Amino acid sequence: MMYFVFFLGMFFVLGGLAVASNPSPYYGVVGLVLASVVGCGWLLSLGVSFVSLVLFMVYLGGMLVVFVYSVSLAAEPFPEAWGSWQVLGYGVGFVLVVVMGVVVGGAVECLKFEVMTVDSGGVVSVRTDFSGVAMFYSGGAGMFLMAGWGLLLTLFVVLEVVRGLCRGAIRAV
Amino acid sequence: MSLLHLSFYSTFAISSLGLAFHRAHLISALLCLESIILSIYIALSTLPIENQTPSLTLMPILILAFSACEAG
Repeated sequence: MMYFVFFLGMFFVLGGLAVASNPSPYYGVVGLVLASVVGCGWLLSLGVSFVSLVLFMVYLGGMLVVFVYSVSLAAEPFPEAWGSWQVLGYGVGFVLVVVMGVVVGGAVECLKFEVMTVDSGGVVSVRTDFSGVAMFYSGGAGMFLMAGWGLLLTLFVVLEVVRGLCRGAIRAV
Repeated sequence: MSLLHLSFYSTFAISSLGLAFHRAHLISALLCLESIILSIYIALSTLPIENQTPSLTLMPILILAFSACEAG
């Protein structure tokens, strides 16, 4: 089972590598989807299922869909694909940088497999991530209101920016 | 360093390099920014697990809300 979590971690790094060395944004989003699906599985294996499902719904279902729509607005007729030497060079270069960092930083002999998971609270079985996020409504009410206000503001800003047709900042829409 | 800590730390490093070296399209830099935020989310979610403090769980949710603002 711990090898499964180890492979989830490796696929997370591979997804990040696919995003960083992408040939065009269409293929970079594939790496982002892989990284978030695998990250969701990783959080599930550690025990915090609520936070991982929030990642799935809000990140994949909300933000990435909006991102893909905006990427499709900046369309290219002939995007560059994965099989070019430049992309391979970028990928190998990034992996080399990280490996050199690990070797020089001395993290090689400290690589352990141990992972801590979340507990339930004895007989009462309280999930820690549920009760943690519920503090958003009690102690973190100020930040909650600020985040909601920021999201509402962003909505109106984007609405005005892409108004187009001789009134917005982006006129080509 | 534990292996899982190394995973999100190296994802953060690789995505930062991708942000610095984006080649053709500006939107690929924004994609690397999204990947940075994803690795920060995973790191902040493993923090309450390892320290057994549930109240730190609201930090990744807040990061998700602000990264939605930034993506918009």
